Amino acid sequence: MKETDNDKAPLFKNWNYWYVLVIGFLIVLIILFSLFTKQFA
Amino acid sequence: MSQLDWIVLIVTLLAIITYGLYKSRTTHNLDGYFLSNRSMPWGLVLLSIMGTQASAITFLSAPGQAYTDGMRFVQYYFGQPLALVVVCIVFVPIFRKLKVYTAYEFLENRFDNKTRSLTSFLFLMQRGLSTGISVFAPSIILSSLFGWNIYYTNILMGGLLIIYTMSGGAKAVAYTQQLQLIIIFIGMFLAAYMVVNMLPKNVSFVDALKVSGKMGKLNVITTGFENGKFNWSDQYNLLSGLIGGFFLGLSYFGADQSQVGRYLTARSLKQSRMGLLMHGLVKVPMQFLILLIGALVFTFYQFNKAPIFFNDVQIKKIERSVYKDSFAVVQQQYNAIALQKENTIVAYSLAADQKNESLQAQKLNELKMLQSGSDSLRKKVKRWIATKEVKGDNNDTNYIFLRFVVDYLPVGLVGLLIAIIFLASWGSIAAAINSLASCSMVDFHRRFTKKKESGENEYKLSKWYTLGWGIFCIIVAMFTYNIGNSLIEAVNVLGSLFYGVILGVFLVAFFMKRIKSGHVVFWAAVLAELLVLTVFILTKTGVFKMGFLWLNPIGAFGVIFFSSLLDKIIPQKQKPSPL
Repeated sequence: MKETDNDKAPLFKNWNYWYVLVIGFLIVLIILFSLFTKQFA
Repeated sequence: MSQLDWIVLIVTLLAIITYGLYKSRTTHNLDGYFLSNRSMPWGLVLLSIMGTQASAITFLSAPGQAYTDGMRFVQYYFGQPLALVVVCIVFVPIFRKLKVYTAYEFLENRFDNKTRSLTSFLFLMQRGLSTGISVFAPSIILSSLFGWNIYYTNILMGGLLIIYTMSGGAKAVAYTQQLQLIIIFIGMFLAAYMVVNMLPKNVSFVDALKVSGKMGKLNVITTGFENGKFNWSDQYNLLSGLIGGFFLGLSYFGADQSQVGRYLTARSLKQSRMGLLMHGLVKVPMQFLILLIGALVFTFYQFNKAPIFFNDVQIKKIERSVYKDSFAVVQQQYNAIALQKENTIVAYSLAADQKNESLQAQKLNELKMLQSGSDSLRKKVKRWIATKEVKGDNNDTNYIFLRFVVDYLPVGLVGLLIAIIFLASWGSIAAAINSLASCSMVDFHRRFTKKKESGENEYKLSKWYTLGWGIFCIIVAMFTYNIGNSLIEAVNVLGSLFYGVILGVFLVAFFMKRIKSGHVVFWAAVLAELLVLTVFILTKTGVFKMGFLWLNPIGAFGVIFFSSLLDKIIPQKQKPSPL
């Protein structure tokens, strides 16, 4: 599907960077939660 | 409630209704009423998505869930960011390109009217019922706590929001959700601050976490493996959260009109995507913080005596039953343990002050043993409540946080938190009713009536459908009672019964281009739904054990499997793909 100017990703070159950011953030959260569990549980 | 609480409650609710009505001016056609003329910026789309997903149950039940079962419930949301990425890549561009009002419209282009109607019908059924539960959930809790009549509370809860939802459609829903969420976050932040602030002065935040953690409430990540084997009946663990949660999230954001209708209001594909991706970033941390409040409330109740059961109405039922005397004895034992717990935790605090780590560990172990003693007494009371002599609801998860709010928070804040229950409830119910009306209007009325209505007439009819669904949800709420599990779980179980199949139909549409026959997909969906219902009944009757989240992949893969199978058996009529 052709992307118009109005549909271009903000801040990054394309939307793939946004997808990586969301997935990467989830991975970081899971790691932090694991450390949190290990520390307190 | 005090006079000030009543003033805070009434002023907050009136402000929302007035704001909703003020923002309700919209174009008198379907595009204006259901999709706000596709003009919303991503910030509003994000708040609307959040407000639709986070119901009153989220704010009431989640802290209670952490109190009873620990924070592992957060894993249920792990699949969602992944699902949102897929929705942004696959679903949103197609929905926007085809300029659909409902997600199911696309299915007629891709397959046939029969498949569209079946999928839309499954959505209407599950969303209509679960919205009824969403009306009932806060009503029952408020009526139990304050002795309000449940029927009037249901009418008040559901009735007031119909005024602006019917009047302003999607635009009023989005704007009120924005204000509602701001008030909700302020209230929850204040509640969290108060829990920490009310702990004894010498107990730091980290100490509070240590106590909560030692009692098993900070089990954020669990693997689901026991003795080297995966436990399929375990509801919340990393694997079920990632896989089951992914499929549930994909169905919810890709194929549930209550969410699709939110991001289709965006002014462009970019704004839709940004709203969804931002939600993917904030949802898990937000849920973590809400659960953390529950874990901290648990610590608070180590320093202060917790009720043996948080729903007073059920306690009164026991006191009038044959278990009256036994209950009095158990209550005495419970009080004695509570006193021992208070002494132990004070000793723990002193040890913490002296930085005596071995004494700290010893006191935490003693506390753990005392907690298991009070837990077993609580279980005994719960068993009595469930007996035929008492005939009560033995689940008090939804009452824990509110009981704490009412008993311990200062005047004014109680009114604000009760208002939050109404607002959170309205946010999700308004969006649900709007989506139910849009599906009824677009997928059924418009599709099956021969007479072509004018834009103005369609607008007026849509308002009547909104009113009709609002009344339907209030009626369901009137008949909902004793669901058993926590209400947040009940809504999710209900969703899981249908979501997988709805998603499966969309997955076949998007990814199995060789399947073109609507006949094949229609019957595959019917067979898959029967499969899901059979599996659910077998787990309920105890034939085998399995967490409800797995019903989502079963439904989705069921449609894919049966479609592939039937495609080979049923001769196809060729139909060009619209994509």
